[in-house]
Amino acid sequence: MIIEPSYILQLTVSGFLMGGVYSLIALGLSLIFGVMKVINFAHGAMLVWGMYISLTIMRLTGIDPFFSFVASAAGLFIIGYFIQRIVVNRIMTFHESMQVIAMVGVMMILENMAQIIWGPDPHSPHTKYSLSTVWLGGVMIDVPRLLAFWIAILIATLVFLFLKYTDLGKSIRASADNRTGALLVGTDVNKVYSACFGIGAACVGVAGALLVPLIPTSPHVGFPFKLTSFCIVILGGMGSLPGAMIGGLMIGVAESLGTIFIPSSLKQVISFSIMVLILLLRPRGLFGGKGS
Amino acid sequence: MKKKMNRRTFLKYSVAMGATTTIAGFPAILRSQPKEILIGSVQPVTGPLADIGIACRRGNQMAVDEINAKGGIKSMGGAKLRLLLGDSEAKEEVGRSEAERLIKDGAVCIVGPFMSGIAMAIATLCEARGIPFVIDIAAADAITQRGYKYTFRCFSTVSTFMSNMGEYIAQIVKEKGVTIKRIGVTNTGDLFGRVQGKAWIDYIKAKKLPFEADVVEHIEYPVGVADLSAEVAKVKVAKPDILCPVTRPGDAKILVRELFKQRVELLGIVSPGAPGLYEPEFIRDMGKLADFVLNNVPWVNPRSPKFREINERFAKLYPGKYVDTNSGYAYLGVMVIADALDRAKSTKPEDLLEALRKTNYKENPMVGGAVQFAANGDNLNASSAMIQILKGEIKVVLPKVAAEAEYVFPTPQLWER
Amino acid sequence: MRKLYCLIAFILIVLLILPTIFSDYILGIFVMIFFYAYLGQCWNILTGYAGPISLGHSLYVGIGAYISTKLAMDFGIPPWIGMWIGGTGAALVGMSIGFLGFRFGLRGIYFVLLTIAFAEIGRLIALHLKPLGHMMGLFIDFKPGWTNFHFRGNLPYYYIGLGYVVFSLIVVRALEVSKWGRYFVALREDEDAAESLGINVFKYKMIAIGISSFMTALGGTFYANYIFYLHPTSVMSMWVSIEIIMRPIIGGIGTLFGPLIGSLLLTPLSEIARSYFTKAGLEGIHIVIYGLLLVVAVLFFPGGIFAFLKKILKPLMGDSKEI
Repeated sequence: MIIEPSYILQLTVSGFLMGGVYSLIALGLSLIFGVMKVINFAHGAMLVWGMYISLTIMRLTGIDPFFSFVASAAGLFIIGYFIQRIVVNRIMTFHESMQVIAMVGVMMILENMAQIIWGPDPHSPHTKYSLSTVWLGGVMIDVPRLLAFWIAILIATLVFLFLKYTDLGKSIRASADNRTGALLVGTDVNKVYSACFGIGAACVGVAGALLVPLIPTSPHVGFPFKLTSFCIVILGGMGSLPGAMIGGLMIGVAESLGTIFIPSSLKQVISFSIMVLILLLRPRGLFGGKGS
Repeated sequence: MKKKMNRRTFLKYSVAMGATTTIAGFPAILRSQPKEILIGSVQPVTGPLADIGIACRRGNQMAVDEINAKGGIKSMGGAKLRLLLGDSEAKEEVGRSEAERLIKDGAVCIVGPFMSGIAMAIATLCEARGIPFVIDIAAADAITQRGYKYTFRCFSTVSTFMSNMGEYIAQIVKEKGVTIKRIGVTNTGDLFGRVQGKAWIDYIKAKKLPFEADVVEHIEYPVGVADLSAEVAKVKVAKPDILCPVTRPGDAKILVRELFKQRVELLGIVSPGAPGLYEPEFIRDMGKLADFVLNNVPWVNPRSPKFREINERFAKLYPGKYVDTNSGYAYLGVMVIADALDRAKSTKPEDLLEALRKTNYKENPMVGGAVQFAANGDNLNASSAMIQILKGEIKVVLPKVAAEAEYVFPTPQLWER
Repeated sequence: MRKLYCLIAFILIVLLILPTIFSDYILGIFVMIFFYAYLGQCWNILTGYAGPISLGHSLYVGIGAYISTKLAMDFGIPPWIGMWIGGTGAALVGMSIGFLGFRFGLRGIYFVLLTIAFAEIGRLIALHLKPLGHMMGLFIDFKPGWTNFHFRGNLPYYYIGLGYVVFSLIVVRALEVSKWGRYFVALREDEDAAESLGINVFKYKMIAIGISSFMTALGGTFYANYIFYLHPTSVMSMWVSIEIIMRPIIGGIGTLFGPLIGSLLLTPLSEIARSYFTKAGLEGIHIVIYGLLLVVAVLFFPGGIFAFLKKILKPLMGDSKEI
């Protein structure tokens, strides 16, 4: 097999850009896990709802997902807030496997409600940019992917700034580090947790909107993304936002380049193997905080 | 709880029927003629293939409604058909359990299940229970190689697909004087994708094509994949003359768009037979990119008056949809069962079995001749047609006897339209 | 105590007689109840009693199913014998995973993710192995007969399934009253304290995962010979792992009867949801309802249904403390 440099560059660029979207999805997961110590098994289903909200807005008003992601963020924030209040809040102290079952239940509800509301057919709408490309030499840069990448980075930066500089953000970080301490200083922990879950959900909602021009929207596309985002969160470090971002980019590139050596259908083995190695050798991930 | 009432009502009704006929002294023969005949439909209406599952269920239901509208099963006093709905959730154990439930609820025959693995589970069950099983769609050859007596298949087998595909490609090459030497194959990593992909590759490698051709690239990607940029980059590097993709509705769109974006030069996209490349959603979402895609599928026969009639009805019931491979064969499956019931004049499994064996159903809306079953249950005349999307509409282009339009080959590049 | 045993004996007799009045369909449901109750109980041994949480148990089901089936298909070895070899294979894999996890000190969520990763890697690799029928999955010939573990009606499967469940109950009960069982519980409750008391935590965790994976694989053989079709995505997927853990969690983790009770509740519920809510046009509603039930069950019965039942049945059981 002849490996031309432009081929490798192409794979790297595509993987890198896709990694931006992965990062955003992992960001949401990392935030939720870092603060509430709950694995959000419904993460993939929330991604799907983000996609459908954007899709519906596009169908009704023609507004491109690259603008309507705001609506997806808002919609998912609300959904996330309620899920937290009703379900997650109560299961936070439960045995981990019970948390899994509860979130799996939420996932089943979300995914199948989506199927009932929007039907099972995959939708791949034609947006203004969905077929645009920019060529740099022999390397094709996918415009929707590029836009998704930049918006993802933008959102991640906003979240980061929010957590660092606003009161609510600081409360969230405080509660993550030390729940009892936060309670002692009078933090309304419930409100903090709900906001945190809402923000995490909003992130994944935005990611969903950004994916609409790239992948067909259907009720069950979330599953593989969810598993990959677990890998990213471990790689980057649970609760670490920079970790989620960089981890996402790394996994995006790794999966893309990996296809040179192994068949595409084994692509995910790469991410899972990375996850195993990190778990064994450096469980706190590349950027994670204190020990596991 | 509506269904429960229906079943209970049905039971009460038949008990009452029995009682009445005895009392009223009707001839004994009428007692074995039910007022309602139940057929069990098991389709993957939830899960990753829900869109196809629902299309199949609609096809099953449309046939039932048609028979009933025309007076039911005439030879059994106009008994009406009723479709019992089963959801396999795309899982074998659920499919088996659903078939079991429908049999318990009185189904005299099972139809379905679109997925080969589930077909296997149900076939084994039906063989054990002695209930006929008519497969509307499932292609894996192995299903009918088990020596099961109760399984019948309307769909073509993978080997038939391939030999048809080979013939059509040979015909295209000859008629258009093109050279196809380098063939690229992609397929989804699920059961159907791999079986189809492998069968086509084996066919090429066994030199069954009447000209020199090699598989220069074979890529398999996971179902539900989001990103085919790496895969298409690989295809591009291999410089194939044609690409033969085996897809599912989701990835078909990503694939074609990616081919466009990366400017992969091809003489054409010719699938050996795959969903994803003919649905109304594909055409709607892909616009000009959908044109000229060739697909070798067991399609409807556009020249069959039967097809035109059912297509009109289907389009009215489900605006924006048309009868395709899935709904068409699902419809055919039930029609074959109804036809057998009519000839059997009874709902007893052995009688139905006999009647099914002797099937010679001519009102076939699909391409291929009358439905006739071989000893192992395969449909002897199941066939496929090469369809091509021209100006946003699906046209059968080969074989010539069923063709409604001339095919275009080589096809214009995706970005030159 | 006496009263409890009488109750159990009574239930057992009922279960033994039940089949005579039940249709194949209901028997089929019971087969699934027993199958998942059994798998859940095997998982219970590791997670419920010893502590480490596994979300990758489907891997062992697959290993057991594939090994015993390949031995039967290629070498004619009856599944009754093949299953023990399958179990051994699974135990080796399980203990390797355990070795990595425990040696590297992975606990809680980190261990869970490790098991998920290995199960997924296993599934992906199995998808590509030719001898496992990688294209089509394995279609198994239906050859009725006791040696082959293939039967026509559901009745034999019912009894075998029941046998599996009773077997698992005996094993777990034996563990509960034995030294091993007590060590399991000790390290589940507080690993560090147990260590400081001189319990070889690593050794007992390895024993737990070994037993758990071995037994799970035996269930895989049952599955293969009931469904007659093996495909990695059906038998080794994340979904199966989730189904396995659902029963003990709803029923009561770390309890003897938890998995069985959970299964008696969940399997019929999902069956009922599917049969009564399958409506054209609302496909998927039964899964929404099932999901809702799961959430409700976790929220309202955090200790599991078994704990709830114990409260109700307290008068019946006198003051038995050993359950």
